[in-house]
Amino acid sequence: MSDALKKRKSKVVRSETGTPEGKRGRGDGEQEVRVYSEEVELDGSDPAEDYRQYKLTCKALAKLMNEIQELKANGAKDGCAEVEQKRMQSCIHFMSLKKLNRLAHMRLKRGRDQTHEGKQRVDVLHLQLQNLLYEVMHMQKEISKCLEFKSKHEEIDLVSIDEFNKEAPPEISRISITKDDPHQLTLARLDWELEQRKRLAEKYKESLSSKEKIQKSIEVKKEHLSSLQPGLNAIMQASLPVQEYLSMPFEQTQKQIEIARHLPPSLYVLLVQANAYGQACDKSLSVSISGDVDEAKALAKPPDDSQDDDSGDSDAEEEQEKTKRRRPTTGGQLDDKRREMLKRHPLSLCLDLKCKDGSVLHLFFYYLMNLNIMTVKAKVSTATDLTGAISAGELLNSDTLLNCLYANDQGRETPNPANRYQFDKVGISVFGDYVAELGHPYQWVQRLGGLQFPSETPEGLRAGSSLSASHMESTMKLLRGRVQSRLALHKQFSSLEHSIVPVSSECQHLFPTKVLSRLSRWTAITHHEYTNLSFTRHVSDAGLARETDLFFLAVVERGTARLQAAVVLNPRYPEISPLFALSLSWKGERAGRSDDNLRAIESEVNVFKSELQGPRPGHQLLTNQVARLCVCLDVYLETDGQDDSVEGPREFPREKMCLRTARGPNRLKPFKYNHPQGFFSHR
Amino acid sequence: MGPVEHLHMSVFSQSFSPCGRFLAAGNNYAHEGPVFSLLSTDSHLLSAGNGEVSAWSWAELIKRNTKAVIHNLHFSLFSFVFSFISIPPLQENSLVIGGGDNNIHIMDLESGIFKSVLQGHTDYIHCLSVREREGEILSGGEDGAVRIWDCRTGHSVHCIEVFKYEDCARPQYGKWISCLTTDSDWMLCGGGPSLSLWHLRSMSPTSVFPLSGCQRQATFYQDMILSVGEGQFVSHCLMGGEVKAQIPCTPHSLNTLALNLNSTEHRVLTVGGSSHQIDVFANLYYRSFSLSF
Repeated sequence: MSDALKKRKSKVVRSETGTPEGKRGRGDGEQEVRVYSEEVELDGSDPAEDYRQYKLTCKALAKLMNEIQELKANGAKDGCAEVEQKRMQSCIHFMSLKKLNRLAHMRLKRGRDQTHEGKQRVDVLHLQLQNLLYEVMHMQKEISKCLEFKSKHEEIDLVSIDEFNKEAPPEISRISITKDDPHQLTLARLDWELEQRKRLAEKYKESLSSKEKIQKSIEVKKEHLSSLQPGLNAIMQASLPVQEYLSMPFEQTQKQIEIARHLPPSLYVLLVQANAYGQACDKSLSVSISGDVDEAKALAKPPDDSQDDDSGDSDAEEEQEKTKRRRPTTGGQLDDKRREMLKRHPLSLCLDLKCKDGSVLHLFFYYLMNLNIMTVKAKVSTATDLTGAISAGELLNSDTLLNCLYANDQGRETPNPANRYQFDKVGISVFGDYVAELGHPYQWVQRLGGLQFPSETPEGLRAGSSLSASHMESTMKLLRGRVQSRLALHKQFSSLEHSIVPVSSECQHLFPTKVLSRLSRWTAITHHEYTNLSFTRHVSDAGLARETDLFFLAVVERGTARLQAAVVLNPRYPEISPLFALSLSWKGERAGRSDDNLRAIESEVNVFKSELQGPRPGHQLLTNQVARLCVCLDVYLETDGQDDSVEGPREFPREKMCLRTARGPNRLKPFKYNHPQGFFSHR
Repeated sequence: MGPVEHLHMSVFSQSFSPCGRFLAAGNNYAHEGPVFSLLSTDSHLLSAGNGEVSAWSWAELIKRNTKAVIHNLHFSLFSFVFSFISIPPLQENSLVIGGGDNNIHIMDLESGIFKSVLQGHTDYIHCLSVREREGEILSGGEDGAVRIWDCRTGHSVHCIEVFKYEDCARPQYGKWISCLTTDSDWMLCGGGPSLSLWHLRSMSPTSVFPLSGCQRQATFYQDMILSVGEGQFVSHCLMGGEVKAQIPCTPHSLNTLALNLNSTEHRVLTVGGSSHQIDVFANLYYRSFSLSF
């Protein structure tokens, strides 16, 4: 086989090389002569035919091989002619196979080349297409950019076309051209706009300059005016002596009004009303303002005020921080908070009430800013020096002088119910503790300042000046009455302590000329001592002896009989009469509760007191009551029952004239004195 | 009427209305002086005090109309009335008035005319009582005598001078008789002398009650004697002369005692005295509550 192959190869080589050689060899010389080109042959041959051919050849080959096989198997020897022939035929078949293979290859190659060419052509075209597309896109972008372009001129608000046509001068508007051409129209409009703007800028500069000129002239005038001020002051000063001469304290009132502007509203109301009342009704009343005006001014400015407060608070807090290590913070902070809450306004009013006998009642009114209440402190300055009456020590005590000016107005609690909540925050439980320092917040003080607080009993609501005005007169009268009655009591007490019962000439008719019982002692006692006395229980139980009252003990004596009288003096004396409770020690102890006659003496002194008031304003009530007490004791002792069982002279001989010594189921004695007949009868 | 007046008020007299639902009490601030005596007839309330006798209609009073004064009799200036009673059925519409002029006057209610005067006492009259069966009036006075008068004749039938009896007399107090009440056969009288029970037929004291203080009013009730006077209690005594109980009450000394017998549902005892409160006893043995002026 290898030989066949070799042969075939050589044949093929020969044919193949032969062909090109043949081509070259013959080509040079005989180009136009028939050239064997397998390529041409390729065009002519049909691939399907070739394929058939191939199949036939393979079959033949296979058949030949089989025959050879058989021959060989039958024992033919090598080099046998049949075999050789067969072998030659198979070699030929082999050659045709090779040719066919060659053709197939060539065909394939040619197809490939064609495809490649086609592809290239397509690629070129494709590239061109891409380029064009790209360019189209680019152009489109450019177009849209151009379309979007807005020129600045569209942002300017131009006047409308009609206006423009009307207003613009013809050389700019060029109506004929611009009517048709919008571009020209816009241009013209822009021109017009520009011109207008230039004109307005000119005008603006002019007006600025004129304004400056006017400003300067104003300055000059202002200076001129302010230079007048010192001149006016000088005139005012010079007019002071004239004012005094004419007794028109214009300057003073102006000053007061000036300061008064800084007063808190309730103090201002009080000032106005008091001034008005003083001018209209009561010449002896005068009002003045005292205190620090600058502080008041500082308080009046709210933003600074809050800033100050904040800085003050932060300062205080800083201090607290620093001292944290030294002392407990809550106590210190609380104290500060309390002090802050109870702060007084720096300005205060001083009201002076002059009485006929020369004594003056000074009232100092303060305003507590955070609590919105007013307080008052009182002081009495007397014309003569009041000494000598020990029991009268409490009478003019400034703390209690104004107690209960109106009923139940003790001035120890704040009248503003809102303060309760404020106090809870800072831990003040009883306002009364601070009253000594801050003054008393009486109800009438709030009313005088026009402050109305809701109370238990609904009253008519009038706030402000009308409230103050309606109470001013009554309060002033009460104040004056209070001072005078206290002063009168003072005098009376000093004589009572000397065991003299002063009875004025107008009241002499109430008592007989000869009274043998004598007042031997007059002392002041405390509420506690009063309630401890056995014979005063009924008064305490009836609620008629309160802590705000003053208590005294009087002792009337005659012979061996000793009458003790415990007196309750209400601060509103003499509107409310003093109350006496009696206890007699004479042949045993008798008290007003158990002895009907002592009870009758009590009622004589307590209940039938209207006769004892004396001349208005009734300041002699107390002394008359004491005098009557002595008279009744006389009657009691002298008319003591006929004790026939006991012999001997009576201790007290009958000297008083009585109609009947005992009347009625309870054997009452005649205690009523009849003037001028001078005898005693029953009521 | 303030608290001071309340402290010094005394109740002197009481009277229940005919229907038994209302109590009238007189104190020392009425009229021009104290009202010492109140009397209730079927339709009227009569009051007497310092020389003045007034009559009021109960019907009007219940309607709170206090202007229903019908009669207003004034006696002479220094006379006063401590007691008066009416004496039906003997003499209809008559009023017996014991006066401060030492006489007893009998007056006709309708006409207001004084029918007769009983004279005999030497000092003013404290108290009156009537014995219906025999038609006699008893009167006790400041002079210490108890006189028994015959209504028709107008003469004093008997005169008992209590202070002359040693058992009763208490000279340290005096001799006046301030309380007097009869139960036809029996008579209670007291005052300066001790409270004593007398048998009228024999005109002698049967028992003397050991009560300290002067008794101002006493009454028979069932088989007991109730008495009030000086002292802060109501005394319950038995006919035999013992003091069974002394019930405490509010006023320190009592002037008047009244039993509401007109009404069955309000059968109470009320006492008043030197206080502005009147004690009410629903059960005789303790104080139920107090009424206050």
